[in-house]
Amino acid sequence: MSGYRFERLRVLVVDDNPHMRKLVITILQAFGVVHIFEACDGDKAWSAVREANPDVVILDWMMAGLNGLEVAQLIRTSPQTPNPFVPVIMLTGYTTVDKVRAARDAGINEFLAKPVSVKAVMSRLAAVIEQPRPYVRTKSYFGPCRRRRGQDEYKGPERRVLAAEPSTVGAAAN
Amino acid sequence: MPPNILKAKVGSVAGGIDMGAIKRAEAAMETLKAEFNDWLADDIARLAMIRGGFANTPTKAMRSELFRAAHDLKGQADTYGYPMVARVASSLANLLDEANVNPVIPLALVDAHVAAIQVAFRDKVNVANDAVAAALAKELEARVIEELAG
Repeated sequence: MSGYRFERLRVLVVDDNPHMRKLVITILQAFGVVHIFEACDGDKAWSAVREANPDVVILDWMMAGLNGLEVAQLIRTSPQTPNPFVPVIMLTGYTTVDKVRAARDAGINEFLAKPVSVKAVMSRLAAVIEQPRPYVRTKSYFGPCRRRRGQDEYKGPERRVLAAEPSTVGAAAN
Repeated sequence: MPPNILKAKVGSVAGGIDMGAIKRAEAAMETLKAEFNDWLADDIARLAMIRGGFANTPTKAMRSELFRAAHDLKGQADTYGYPMVARVASSLANLLDEANVNPVIPLALVDAHVAAIQVAFRDKVNVANDAVAAALAKELEARVIEELAG
């Protein structure tokens, strides 16, 4: 096979800036994505998730109303979510470690830092297609395993099992 | 491992890099570049308009709106080919970030940033090869750090 069959993919693009939405959508269309949905704020994004049931969500962080982290948490934990496993790629100008950690704790699969480039978008899509992380459920978290790839290198005891809260690993991918 | 539904749907590519798709998207970006100047002009005009609202009504909500406008510019100006605008917008976003507990944002420092952004856009300033621009960006960043330090 010569390339991904992107025409089969349903992608939701969420950004309050219309120019950034157009930029990302242009890249996706050139990749061959046909089924593209867009939302200009967090509230509309949450509606779009429930109505369109996308395969991938590209989500801005900083928006009025529901922000990207809150939308991601709804996708993962709301009883109304159509698919709690849907891969979420967070698109943001934040690049500091504490922000990346906060995104990870909200259940984000991949982090796409602005400025946006074609290769970066492809790389994040390829990551959720080719190397999906197992999902973890604890009392306080549901989402992709927050240990980065290469987790086989960790040889210590299973810390989640040792913790007071019960956990389940590897429920499903995307 | 659990089943990989996306891979089953769209297939797999060696190394995860679909070069054909990348080439098509880069060509599309080249075409889109003709619009970048207008987009950035819009975003800078919006920043200046929100700055006016913040000057009249320096509430938490207006500060938050101004922060989002600066944060947008920080993320996007580089994509549009204006790294100096991105750098100064980043400094302005640092000043306005809610994580900073300072209750009063000095309007003069906000204005210095907005003016620098407008000039950098108007004159297509490239901070990499313009010593004056680099010095200005450094000075604005230092003033913000000084302000945040109290």
